[in-house]
Amino acid sequence: MAHFFMTVSMALILVLTVPFHALAGGIKGKVMVKGLRSPANILVFVSKAPVFEGDVSKLNFVMDQRNLTFIPHILPVLAGATVQFPNHDKVSHNVFSLSRTKKFNLGSYAAGTSKDVVFDKPGIVELRCDVHAEMIAYIMVLKNPHWAVTDDQGNFRIPDKAFIAKQGLAGVAGLPAGKYVFKTWHEKLKSVKKTVEVPEEGNVTVQLNLRRGTPGVLYK
Amino acid sequence: MTRKAYIAIIVALVIFSTVIYFEKKSPAQTGPPGTETPGIKGRVMSTYGPLENARVRVPGSEHYALTDRQGMFTLPSGPLPGEKSRITAGKAGWFNNVQVPSVYGRPIDIFLNPVYLNDQPDYRFISPVTCAKCHGEVTRYWDRSKMAHTSSNPMVLDMFYGTDALNRQGVAPGYRLDNPKKNGECVACHAPSSAASGGAPRDLKAVLQSPLTEWDGISCDYCHKVRNVIPDAEKPSGRAAVLERQSSKRGSSILIFGPYDDVVTPPMAASYNPLFSEAKFCATCHSHYRKLDGEKGWDPKGVYSADEWEGLKMKNNRFLPIQTTFQEWEQWQKQLPFDDPNKGKKCQDCHMGWRKEMLPYDHYVVDGMARRMWGTYRSPQDIRPHHFDGGTQTQLKTALAMELEGEITGKNLDLNVYITNTNGGHWVPTGETMRSVMLVLNVSDSKGKPLKMIKGGTLPRWAGEGALAQGNYAGFPGAVFARILEDREGNLHAPFWRATGIYSDTRIRPKKTVALKFQFALTDPDDEPTAEADLIYRPVIKPLALKKRWVAEDILIARKVW
Repeated sequence: MAHFFMTVSMALILVLTVPFHALAGGIKGKVMVKGLRSPANILVFVSKAPVFEGDVSKLNFVMDQRNLTFIPHILPVLAGATVQFPNHDKVSHNVFSLSRTKKFNLGSYAAGTSKDVVFDKPGIVELRCDVHAEMIAYIMVLKNPHWAVTDDQGNFRIPDKAFIAKQGLAGVAGLPAGKYVFKTWHEKLKSVKKTVEVPEEGNVTVQLNLRRGTPGVLYK
Repeated sequence: MTRKAYIAIIVALVIFSTVIYFEKKSPAQTGPPGTETPGIKGRVMSTYGPLENARVRVPGSEHYALTDRQGMFTLPSGPLPGEKSRITAGKAGWFNNVQVPSVYGRPIDIFLNPVYLNDQPDYRFISPVTCAKCHGEVTRYWDRSKMAHTSSNPMVLDMFYGTDALNRQGVAPGYRLDNPKKNGECVACHAPSSAASGGAPRDLKAVLQSPLTEWDGISCDYCHKVRNVIPDAEKPSGRAAVLERQSSKRGSSILIFGPYDDVVTPPMAASYNPLFSEAKFCATCHSHYRKLDGEKGWDPKGVYSADEWEGLKMKNNRFLPIQTTFQEWEQWQKQLPFDDPNKGKKCQDCHMGWRKEMLPYDHYVVDGMARRMWGTYRSPQDIRPHHFDGGTQTQLKTALAMELEGEITGKNLDLNVYITNTNGGHWVPTGETMRSVMLVLNVSDSKGKPLKMIKGGTLPRWAGEGALAQGNYAGFPGAVFARILEDREGNLHAPFWRATGIYSDTRIRPKKTVALKFQFALTDPDDEPTAEADLIYRPVIKPLALKKRWVAEDILIARKVW
């Protein structure tokens, strides 16, 4: 009997100490584009996947403003998250959005100051600056945290550990094994969607070829 | 100590305390809050006495102090170590001036001279080539802008003389074809320095052929000679620029008005003029009405709401609004609550702001040797690049935004299109009435076969009849946004000099969203259809562009897919 309890206890300890992500997989891959200079800044996201169960209000999303540019160009965030809009430029900016997903207008504010906005509804938010016509960026409000943004070479990995740590999403594990549909979004590329089988451990590798065109909506 | 000496000390102490007390109580106003710490003190004076509300600052500094009724000011701090030790003062109607602060901290006097009203109609404007010698970058941006070439714009010349792009004569519409002996008032805005020069031509071609470079476009010296903008019913815009042209005599400086109160450089006798930071400055030309002949007016009901018509500020319905960019902006601003983030936005904020291609930021408005001699280091926030961007792809792409929603209900596909004027401080498109914005929908099944529209509008004939590849969209599902003038015979798109009414004005108002609904029949309810929506800016309506043989390319503002 003692041996039995010992075995069960050992098994339980073993199960509890194995990192959760070891039982979960991911998607990694490369995006090739035609008709665009760089394959960077393409959002790859899983449309239906386990949601984030942590406290969304504690996440750290930042849309910076420097040299008349929003940084990053595409910022995926979770529905309900707060985004900070610091102005690190030399001139005042006026961030606003008239997108139906989230309408707001922060007014003109000087360099060295910051403002916050909560994004509560999934969808695409097109950001503009009222005084600098070229400034444009996108906040992608997503339903789950399984996303990645491509690097300069078009590589991506879901989950992206470095990105996750930066945003305060440290609790996010990989995807449980199973079939998933993932999509792409970039303002100048036709969106594609693909189904993949995520293994229990390790990553499924994919390659995507995107063409210049018009992206679709995030969720139909 | 004698009794007398004792009394003298007491009296001296009382006088000293009184002086200190009143000095501290001086109500000298300061610019921004939180900068009231003691610094440089002084007075702004003139031959007529102290000057109130003069702006005093260390040149280039963002903060300034305003003088009180006694002309007194207190600057929170003086020039930083290494900076030129100067304090400047400026006030509307007076020449800016400069003074060196006392090394012992004594109050300083800055003396301003008035700009005497002594306009010389025979003044010869300075060529932009001269301005470029010191203001190279500013002039370069201006030279690339439409503002620099208003008198040589081929479309303007074709519309004036009734010619086409091949210079064939008698191609209507043409102002001269209808009014052979008249010059119109074109030069008032298209060549204002010629219009304002005594004995100069009023004919656009004569202006263009003249060797006088200062007559082409809206030149530097013309704008910087504007002292005021006043109502003038005789002018096409209902407003006139009041100039102050004063010839520079040998050894003296040139009178220049501008938005800076700290420019005191010798080649220019600069005078601060707040008008340069106001939208009113632009109203001189970005507004145009036509007074209708005879007693009969036109009926604005059905085209404009009562508030909109009032906001267009026509005297009565015998005045026809042709271009109303200024009034559109003015009525938008007027209806905004005082705490709205857009309150106070003006033309200069968007049309004279920094552009990415201009970076890194420049901190001077003068270049070369002039920078070393007279340059003032400024925050980019206080520099207005003179690019006057408008109607360009960059501007349009951010002026309007479009969103597309779709839903399949039974055998139908319902589409909702939302078009928002996100960045325009005026109606879009604005200005010339030959401009339009079109929404073109292309809805098809999964095999690419177009779906039949059950509900919704289509594009009119003037959106172009013919091959789609040539930009002909007549009959397509969609909508147009334009101000359409009509003449006495009911012809649409009449040129302004023949217009007697406005047929429709569907342009998109600032920050407003136009919601359009469409319904399409599905051939197969299980099929996955695709809807494509294009939002296109067309600078010249198709029939006119074809007639005049103009190459006026469409600009795709937005494309959305559902």
